[in-house]
Amino acid sequence: MRHALRLVTLAVLLLVAAPALAQPGVTDAEIVLGCSNSFSGPLAFTGEQATRYGVDLYFRVVNEQGGIHGRKVRTVYYDDGYKPQDAVANTRKLVEQDGVFAVIAPQGTAPVAATLGYLEDNKVPLLFPFQGSPITRGRKWVFSGMTLYDRQARMMIDYLVGERKLRAFAALYQDDEYGKAFLTAFQQDLGRHQLKLAAAEPVKRGATDVSAQMARLQAAKPEVVVLVLTPGPGAQALRERQKIGWTDTLMVSSGPLTDERYLALAGAAAEGVEGLSLWPDPVASTLPGVVAYREAMQKHFGKNEPNRYSLSGYFAAMLFTEGARRAGRNLTRESLVTALESVKGWESGILPAVSIGPDHETQKQGFWVRVEQGRFRPLTDWLKSE
Amino acid sequence: MRGARAALAGGGLVLLAAWPWVAPPYFVFLASVVLVNAVVAIGLNLLSGYTHQLSFGHAGFLAIGAYTAALLTLHAPAVPAPLTLLLAGAATALVGVAFGVPCLRLGGLYLAMATLAFGFVITEAILNLDTLTRGADGLRVPTAQVAGVPLASDTARYYLVLPVTAVLVAAAVGVVRTRTGRAFLAIRESEIAAQASGVNVALYKTIAFGVSAFYTGVAGGLFGFVVGFLSPDAFDVFLSVDFVVMIIVGGLGSVPGSVAGAAVVTLLHDGLAGFQDLRPLIFGAILIGCMLFMPGGIASALRPLGRR
Repeated sequence: MRHALRLVTLAVLLLVAAPALAQPGVTDAEIVLGCSNSFSGPLAFTGEQATRYGVDLYFRVVNEQGGIHGRKVRTVYYDDGYKPQDAVANTRKLVEQDGVFAVIAPQGTAPVAATLGYLEDNKVPLLFPFQGSPITRGRKWVFSGMTLYDRQARMMIDYLVGERKLRAFAALYQDDEYGKAFLTAFQQDLGRHQLKLAAAEPVKRGATDVSAQMARLQAAKPEVVVLVLTPGPGAQALRERQKIGWTDTLMVSSGPLTDERYLALAGAAAEGVEGLSLWPDPVASTLPGVVAYREAMQKHFGKNEPNRYSLSGYFAAMLFTEGARRAGRNLTRESLVTALESVKGWESGILPAVSIGPDHETQKQGFWVRVEQGRFRPLTDWLKSE
Repeated sequence: MRGARAALAGGGLVLLAAWPWVAPPYFVFLASVVLVNAVVAIGLNLLSGYTHQLSFGHAGFLAIGAYTAALLTLHAPAVPAPLTLLLAGAATALVGVAFGVPCLRLGGLYLAMATLAFGFVITEAILNLDTLTRGADGLRVPTAQVAGVPLASDTARYYLVLPVTAVLVAAAVGVVRTRTGRAFLAIRESEIAAQASGVNVALYKTIAFGVSAFYTGVAGGLFGFVVGFLSPDAFDVFLSVDFVVMIIVGGLGSVPGSVAGAAVVTLLHDGLAGFQDLRPLIFGAILIGCMLFMPGGIASALRPLGRR
């Protein structure tokens, strides 16, 4: 009888413990998250800020307050230098060797696309990657990070054509997937307004001289020139415009180029540039969540300046925490996905209320800004897209 | 002593063959990557170690092989994987010969610059032929098939990579005994002396380019199957430099050295990934250390051991 009782107790204990044992990355004491990101190579600054000074910053605050349902969060990061094959290897290592619960905040269209199939096949949640291509839309185990490029393009064109009544558009775009994705989106959105691009000039990735392209764009006499470029060529384009004295056109920056640090590369030539900003001013905003972010940064990483990349990582961790809290003590990958899908009208104090629908897009907003004396001045409230 | 060496070699081969049964899937994947890099290193060594044509553009050949194999598998899935690899290698060899002929006039630094440019040209071509290659969006490589069996696991793919590598290694070792191999050796010792002895240096240097490209093209096909995803970002100049590092660390002109160099560099990159932004620094420091203490590479450091 005692023997049978002992067996039954053991069986019950095992059944109760089984979910915790069987779930990779979740133990009684901790949750393990991680990602493969750029810590070297072209996007090293963004990668390091988003992870070590972003995601980790928020989890430090959470862990200090006791963690999520008593579990502290630990992160593991590997460097892929923006190489897709290294991202594949690192992600496999994270899942198979480090046993992460979920992948959070990896960066780059190519590295993320390379790992997408593997993560989906193994039912590992891919949370809030720092990339804007629509490949992450509407997949069960994937939740998008930034406002996706096609949505950004639509918001920009709708605002410029609808609100500002501008009609003649041209584009200076990077000749790769990032540039071409935006270009295609712009062409489609202009088409919805019965407009066409007057001119589109490509710039090779890594090029430093855009004078020829700018001259050709000027000849087409557009009212708006949209820049789909990385910071270097972006600054060149702005300086070139100033040099040739082309004043009667509005320069609009797109995507991650819309950041004070990057536009500052062009110095005075960036004055008057406008764009769609995805994040509130990390340095000056008085929104409660952004203030808390700055305080945490000051406390834990005093020497690191607040910026949009670490803010986006901080937000990613915040959203994960909200999902994990809702999932409760019985945290599984399934329960996390369900919990995130239940997020409707959630206030973060940083972005407008977040509602996650079947497209699993967590961000669908931006607001219009203009560069005035080196800082962004908001021209509109949050523009939303459905 | 020879018996001990044979036993060691035999044991190593047994371990290689039985690896998927003893190692977790990630390490089987990693082993496949090491073998793929070894094939490229051997190919590059044939070019640089024997005929002194240093190439900083071998990532370009890898890309040609990878995309050729991936597109063949995508559009002609009935072709079995080994044949696909052969065709990928052949296509890359053609490009290699076409590139090698005009490069005959170049030497040293100028050839290095030309190969560097070649690497960039290939990446740009992939970006621009985007209707075929899906450009910078990247190409998902379909699962390889052998005799109707899809190679859907790391173990299955390892057992494609291993025999292909074994055959290519054996061929590289065996080539020394052939007429072509002896010509390579002669050119390695002295181009002028070889020419004076009647060796058609131009012909053999071109053959070296073709063979090197063939090896790298086959490796490219295997790379695509193992990694599963191709994009132009994968084949940048740093990958080409990695291959050069492999043959220098392994020892120029040595086939086992190339394999050892490939293993060292691949495993170092993997092991250092956790050091994040310190990775390039540590990798560089280790390389400098290797060059200071083993200027002839691993092969020359171990040669005294083998000579007993």
